[in-house]
Amino acid sequence: MGSESSPQSPQEMLKFTSTASILTPRLGRLAVAGRKPISTPHYIPLTSRGVVPHITQDVMRDQTAIGSVFVGLEDFLERQTAKNPFPPAYKVPTAANESALRNFICLPDDLLLIMGPRREPPIKCPPSNTPNSIAILTSVGYRQLEASHYIEAIRHLRPDIIIGLADLVRGHNPGLKRRGKMVDRTHAYTTHATEQLYKSKDTSQQQGAATTTTTTTTTTPPTTTTNAVYFAPVLPLENAEQSIYLEDLESELRPYISGLALYESASLSAVSEPLGDLPRLLFSAPATPHEVLRDVSLGADLHTIPFMGICSDAGIALNFTFFPPPPPQPQEQQEEQTSTPAPSQNQDQGQAQAQLALAYDLWSPEHKTDTRPLSENCECYTCRNHHRAYLHHLLSAKEMLAWSLLQIHNHHTMDVFFAQIRQSIDRATFDADTQAFSRRYVSELPEPKGQGPRLRGYQLPASGPNQPRRHARVYGRLDDAAEKFAESQQSSVATPDTGADGLEEHGFAKKV
Amino acid sequence: MSTSTAAPPRKPMPSALTFDLHAKCSTTKARASTLKLPHGDVPLPIFMPVATQASLKGLTYDQLRQTGCQLCLNNTYHLGLKPGQAVLDTVGGAHKLQGWDRNILTDSGGFQMVSLLKLAQVTEEGVRFLSPHDGTPMLLTPEHSISLQNSIGSDIIMQLDDVIATTSPDHARIHEAMERSVRWLDRCIDAHKYPERQNLFCIIQGGLDLELRKQCCAEMVARDTPGIAIGGLSGGEAKEDFCKVVDTCTGLLPEKKPRYVMGVGYPEDLIVGVALGADMFDCVWPTRTARFGNAVVPSGTLNLRHRSYAEDFRPVQEGCGCSICRPRDQGGLGITRAYIYHLTAKETVGAHLLTMHNVHYLLSLMGSARQAILEDRYPAFLRQFFADLYGEKTNYPSWVVDALRGVGVDLMVD
Repeated sequence: MGSESSPQSPQEMLKFTSTASILTPRLGRLAVAGRKPISTPHYIPLTSRGVVPHITQDVMRDQTAIGSVFVGLEDFLERQTAKNPFPPAYKVPTAANESALRNFICLPDDLLLIMGPRREPPIKCPPSNTPNSIAILTSVGYRQLEASHYIEAIRHLRPDIIIGLADLVRGHNPGLKRRGKMVDRTHAYTTHATEQLYKSKDTSQQQGAATTTTTTTTTTPPTTTTNAVYFAPVLPLENAEQSIYLEDLESELRPYISGLALYESASLSAVSEPLGDLPRLLFSAPATPHEVLRDVSLGADLHTIPFMGICSDAGIALNFTFFPPPPPQPQEQQEEQTSTPAPSQNQDQGQAQAQLALAYDLWSPEHKTDTRPLSENCECYTCRNHHRAYLHHLLSAKEMLAWSLLQIHNHHTMDVFFAQIRQSIDRATFDADTQAFSRRYVSELPEPKGQGPRLRGYQLPASGPNQPRRHARVYGRLDDAAEKFAESQQSSVATPDTGADGLEEHGFAKKV
Repeated sequence: MSTSTAAPPRKPMPSALTFDLHAKCSTTKARASTLKLPHGDVPLPIFMPVATQASLKGLTYDQLRQTGCQLCLNNTYHLGLKPGQAVLDTVGGAHKLQGWDRNILTDSGGFQMVSLLKLAQVTEEGVRFLSPHDGTPMLLTPEHSISLQNSIGSDIIMQLDDVIATTSPDHARIHEAMERSVRWLDRCIDAHKYPERQNLFCIIQGGLDLELRKQCCAEMVARDTPGIAIGGLSGGEAKEDFCKVVDTCTGLLPEKKPRYVMGVGYPEDLIVGVALGADMFDCVWPTRTARFGNAVVPSGTLNLRHRSYAEDFRPVQEGCGCSICRPRDQGGLGITRAYIYHLTAKETVGAHLLTMHNVHYLLSLMGSARQAILEDRYPAFLRQFFADLYGEKTNYPSWVVDALRGVGVDLMVD
């Protein structure tokens, strides 16, 4: 059982080899016992309710290179009552060294599993955090996640890496007093959690045993030890404001933390030399690949990139590489310029070289009959098997496969992007390559316009009173037309002048 | 084979399929065969999942292949609206559009007219309906339907038929629909451009009137299409009536041609349909019900949105060979009911996983039925299937018992 296996110290569980440099791009290798090592810089794919959205576990295994996932605990908490205090994920039958969360979400054994309290990106919660809890959004509403419950969750679920609780203020800039509170609370959460998890192994074992005896179910395994390593949060504040906390991280707490979780790029400058050898996981919600490059240049190792999923849902295919693509044949280039004028290509004709778009919208009718892959030379499953015309069709037919195929492509594009970033750092050409990249591509991703999957409550901010419907009515759209048709029968009266030409052109039927 | 009507000289009907009948059940009318189509061999009897708009509800085509699917459906009506004929012609047909290298069957678009009946009106010329996009009155003729299906390039195409609800009380209308379907079949045959690579199936109509069905069989068999469908069912008629129609029709159809019962998909309907001599079935039910969180298993369906499954850590169906139920140490995903409960109706992946299971379940059910027919133990297979599904014999529905008695199997006697 767990109590017999000699618990390893956090340092043994996770090995991160890198230079201790700060504020400069760096290469690293993150290895957690039993998992595929991750070369950094890299991104951590985000999940919703334990899955990378639209990607089933077999597609993930067979058709993607996903090697790690980030999971928010709030996706697994619902209505826990005094009678039934543990969510289902805690109760999965698990062998001594297995992770309940991993078993629950059917994640392959060799993938790195990172758990934080909240999804990424999190939805702003109207309730505020308290000295011993943070506000979270579950699929059945808002609630508080107590620091002690978070420890309990870690003991039961046993992810590989945990992101510590932080008192973050979302949606507005906190005032001076609130900033002071953020630091104090986060400091307390971190001290409490590391103490519970690592300092007093003996007492924690007893506590763990006590919790299991009080539960009514027998399926809950006695999870007395944790192998999870702790990434301590660094607040999105000035260095000076959180200096007491940071100093404690450098000294007292240092043996118990295995990495840092940062919430804005600027925090990368808060990392001091003594913490420099820790892996840095960044939750900065970059808006473009340019911002990702900025984060890399400031020394971030692990990135979370919400725009990938946002693009997939909106029907946008990412189409960039860090290194310049091989120059196309002169003829093809000609064709490219004339047949598919990407807006950016035309607008910037005045410049010496037209800038390329970072991505394009597959909803756009220009892709209707385009049988080219999503990106030239792309080797992802989607590009090997399908073409833009199919993706355009799937999107306009609102078929779910569109989002699956786009997720595969967008993840692959990002895999290649990061592989090239690492190559570039290795060659010591990162700065020059970044500049070339920003000259080559436009500065923004296209605006998401397309209609994505139906959003659920836990994916949307709270709605106020008197708001319009979230989703348009689907049924009954034709009632009016049917009435008119019935009145006129075969007369020529009911001949609205709208788009039947299109239908006729499709050869589907002819106008009467 | 009896072709009772004096057939006028007709355009000869080439066929792009071969039908190898391997075995017939010595008790029931069940048959095991192989249908060789332009995109590969299809073992019959078979269930065909419905990829309405050129996509099987979120599954990649590799996932669909892994369920064992050799033949799936696309809907002409939907592909005609999106992406439309011009795109299909440019891209080179539905196979190229969706990246599917196995067989496709398309319906004629007529059934959608029934489901949108308040919008449609049938005349001799064709079906008048309102464009669902902008309400413009439109006309779909047999020629349009065939031309579209030629553009789609499906391996099996269906004639446009005059579909009305079998439950319609208007006998004269049913009679008219049957005769019109025969006339439309002739127009479809004339309009069909590629009989050497696309197989046109006729559709037997006639409502629940067995006399009309017999007349229709005689007329249509005379036209010698490569395969024959029994249509107009699955419209809410009593199961007894459904069985009588299938039984009557299969009795009159040539043995050497595939028989397709349209729109049928509950497991018990398939199994009885096979006993009555049908070979092919299609239905959206298994995939649709998957999206609502229902898993099809031998004992019926499990509604995995029910709270009782929140902590049920068993696979969706124990012993099932599909990739979601198989444990991880056997190369499967080891998905549990509890996890489906956690995902379903919240994440699209929940729907994808159950869709894979349900399609696999129905395909493997038909695979076992085929094996049983080949080994001439279909009656024993029937007994086992219904015992698993209903448990006590007192729970067996009378329509099943009666229909199977009609083909020599008495489920009530062991």
